[in-house]
Amino acid sequence: MRLPHVGLTLRIIGVLLVLGVAVFPLYWMFVTALTGDSELFASEARLVPDFSQFGVFIDALAEGKATTWLLNSLVIAAGTTILSIGLGIPLGYALSRFSFRGKVIVTVVLLFTQMLPEALMVVPLFALFRRFDLLDSLGGLILVNSAFVLPIVALILKGAIDGLPREVEESARVDGARPLTVLLRINVPLIAPSLAATAVIAFFHAWNEYVFAVTFVFTPGLQPASVGIANFIGELGTPIQTVMAVSFMFTAPAVVFYLFVQKYVVAGMTAGAVKG
Amino acid sequence: MTALEQQQLPGPRSGTRRRGSPLGSKWTPYFFLAPAALFILVFQVVPLAQEVFLSFTRTSLLNPTHSTWVGFDNFARIFGDEDFRRTLLITLVYVVVCVVVAVGTGLAVALLLNKGFRGRGLARALVTIPWAAPGIAVALIAIWMLNPDYGIVNRFLDTIGLGVPGGAILDSPRYALPAILVTTIWQLFPFTSVVLLSALQAVPPHLTEAATMDGAGRWWTFRAVTWQSIKPTVGLLALLMTIWSLRRFELIWLMTKGGPVGATETLVIDLYSQAFDSKQLGSAAAVGMVGIVISLIVIAGSRFVARAAEREAR
Amino acid sequence: MRLHRIRRSMVAAVSVTGMAAALLAGCGSDGGSEGGVTKLTFAASTLGDPGRGPLLTKWLEEFNKSQNKVQVSPAAVPYPTFGQTILTQMGSGKGPDLIRFDMPEFESASDAGLIAPLNDLIDVSKYDLLKQPDQFMVHDGQRHGIIFEASNYAMFYNADLIKKAPTTYDEFVETAKSLTKGDTYGLAFRQTEAEEAGVWQDIFNYVYGFGGAWSDGKQLTINSPENLKGLQAYKDLYDAKVIPRGTDAATFRRMFAEGKVGMELNNGGYVTATRGQNADLNFNVAPIPFPVRKQGTILAPIVINEASPAKEEAATFIKWALEPANQVKLQEILGASSVATVTQRSPEKLKETPFLTVFDDLTESSLPQIVLGFEAKTPDIRKVVVKNVIAALQGTVDLKTALDNAQQEASQLVG
Repeated sequence: MRLPHVGLTLRIIGVLLVLGVAVFPLYWMFVTALTGDSELFASEARLVPDFSQFGVFIDALAEGKATTWLLNSLVIAAGTTILSIGLGIPLGYALSRFSFRGKVIVTVVLLFTQMLPEALMVVPLFALFRRFDLLDSLGGLILVNSAFVLPIVALILKGAIDGLPREVEESARVDGARPLTVLLRINVPLIAPSLAATAVIAFFHAWNEYVFAVTFVFTPGLQPASVGIANFIGELGTPIQTVMAVSFMFTAPAVVFYLFVQKYVVAGMTAGAVKG
Repeated sequence: MTALEQQQLPGPRSGTRRRGSPLGSKWTPYFFLAPAALFILVFQVVPLAQEVFLSFTRTSLLNPTHSTWVGFDNFARIFGDEDFRRTLLITLVYVVVCVVVAVGTGLAVALLLNKGFRGRGLARALVTIPWAAPGIAVALIAIWMLNPDYGIVNRFLDTIGLGVPGGAILDSPRYALPAILVTTIWQLFPFTSVVLLSALQAVPPHLTEAATMDGAGRWWTFRAVTWQSIKPTVGLLALLMTIWSLRRFELIWLMTKGGPVGATETLVIDLYSQAFDSKQLGSAAAVGMVGIVISLIVIAGSRFVARAAEREAR
Repeated sequence: MRLHRIRRSMVAAVSVTGMAAALLAGCGSDGGSEGGVTKLTFAASTLGDPGRGPLLTKWLEEFNKSQNKVQVSPAAVPYPTFGQTILTQMGSGKGPDLIRFDMPEFESASDAGLIAPLNDLIDVSKYDLLKQPDQFMVHDGQRHGIIFEASNYAMFYNADLIKKAPTTYDEFVETAKSLTKGDTYGLAFRQTEAEEAGVWQDIFNYVYGFGGAWSDGKQLTINSPENLKGLQAYKDLYDAKVIPRGTDAATFRRMFAEGKVGMELNNGGYVTATRGQNADLNFNVAPIPFPVRKQGTILAPIVINEASPAKEEAATFIKWALEPANQVKLQEILGASSVATVTQRSPEKLKETPFLTVFDDLTESSLPQIVLGFEAKTPDIRKVVVKNVIAALQGTVDLKTALDNAQQEASQLVG
């Protein structure tokens, strides 16, 4: 009777430890943002937030810049999510349900592009963007970020469609429905969890992206939050509390968005994997 | 995603041809394919082809349209460079540790959360937070937490008597890489644990029960039943972690820029500093090609292992 | 029911994609001229500085108010990747119209022909330019930039902690050691590879202050005995742990502003930034007490991008900046730096900041942080030198070997 009890206690301790490790850095970001100047450089660390310092959040927002950055990040992330899923669904469908000339090449290219580091592609893409007049626009960043997540999105969606029974769509086909209708009406609703998973991947990718954003956008009003935060890192000084406050506000929406969809993400992410 | 692993290359075994299938004309797949293919062609394949070309040239960042063809010079030079060999070694260490520890920790956490208890939903949600945190924010808080004088990490380590001399963690060739690894794994383990947790929950309960009924010990049950059914997921995660770790940039660049004395210089960091500090697009492209070849080997190797496992299972 | 909802969301998705496309088409704008007004962008890492950044933005607005055909707006390029970002853009024929560069990037950009020649755009004979810094703006008779800021290096010290400023190197070391206790450090300088450009600026004072030089104008002299002496001094201070090791400049400057660092060798631009962080700090400035009175200076030229479609208009801005009244304003914003032309400091400013003259008196003995004779290669030489010096700090090689290695690697680079 005693042993399971010990096991339970150990498990609780383990869970609390893991939670502590997972959450602490974000908590620390919050505490640092809310620590006064003198305490920040004191010999004893302040362990709890000083809410009298809350003005740092308001100041960061009131200046207007942080709001613009966050909005730009949101536009880029949402645009990337929509575009990459919009292109990824038909691609995943084609790869899953059809065999056609060049399929091997397409699949290999998709896997292959997953390995390309952004830093490698900055210079040729810059020239390309210049030619198409895409520099200094949120649209351009949506395009480039989509290109980088589209392969993984398409591959995950292909795995999800692979897992669907063919019978339903084939009977719909017999009833005379066109392939596009079949895809949109029958398959897409069934892979909703995987769509959520890919949405998260695409959203996070674009929300976090720095290298392209810093090089391709010149107008301060178009910069996303990743670049905006880097703007605070100065040669002569970095306002640590402000940086932490903005970082916290930059992190929070991503976390909330994730918590919101995480149930589907887990299901979708593993749709193919578990089956195998 | 394993499904994709198995089906992406229709070998001779999957010989079901569906010419004139009920799914429409032979042009139908191209209709679905075309928009995405065009997109990837323009934004990935064309720039990549340019990079392949650049890797055989001497080209300055300051004048990227003028290239001098130098054949294999860039490759000869980087492979002749002792620093580059160190970079390869550090990349290897970084990737292997990331993969092993991220998957291992992920599995441990997944096992911990697999049993039902009150508040498990909340715990599972909270654990995944690090994965959602943007890289630049993670780097900034990590730098601040590791600050030699005011960082909470050093204060904590000093308190328990394990303090690094001078507290200079990111500044020391010995501790910088471990610090970056810990930060990376902190960001990765939620992903692996969430994926492994759902794999664990897909293990048919009657199997484990049967094993326990037969009087098998916990360890034996884990190895014979649980491990067998989550193995494919583990393999897939390992592959993903490898590819992602090979291209990780922001975290390392913001925390150490590859220093001190090259102690954290991975291939991507080397690539970036060749291209943008030394302004040598040619050597940078050559470094990039080496990275791509390594990734290809990893993918080919993982497919080989997967096939072998399949054959064994049969 | 569920199917229905998803279908509706698909419709929404498609329409948002359409909006995104519309956005794409609309956002491809490029600045340039609209309705007879030419819009220019100006990139300067200084625009992100605490204290100075907001004031500089106001100064730009004054220009905009004075003009009806040309408007200049700041292009905020983050400091951590400033050089890389701007040079990538310029190399591909893009980038801001006006740029405030640091010397090493200025030299490589002008060598690569990315900077517009100014001889035909600006007639400098009209202005009373400071000769010592201005000579570095001209290459083979062609002018490529105008000094935006020239900022000599001096010793900043906390006047509450240090009653009498050290005047010799030994006193300097002594002061640094005696002040270091608990969470307070006697000194601070940059010593991490993550701050390569900063380390280069900081070691410059040690090399030149001990009589060394990076080159004699024809040959690199990285491993000369004088350089070794100067860098040994730098390393000794690092080894003596009188500096916050591993702390980046942004943080240790905050620490200086909070009274946790006693001394720092820094340039005049730092005055405003420090006050911006802590208006009450009681600090003072004296010349660097090293054996030889030679120190670095930050020369920051303002240049016109060769790729700019509006060079004439960009020159209009530079000419406006060179007008005496605007020079005075710029100088007051920049703090203890000097600007392109000879300006008089107002009596009020001198009363407020008596040590301003310390910086002004150093102009003749200050040198830009470039490698003479190898100007365009400075960033590459910098990378090699900093890498090897840090290897010595970390104890992987001894300093002499490190400098020999640096000399060899850098000589190969410059061919």
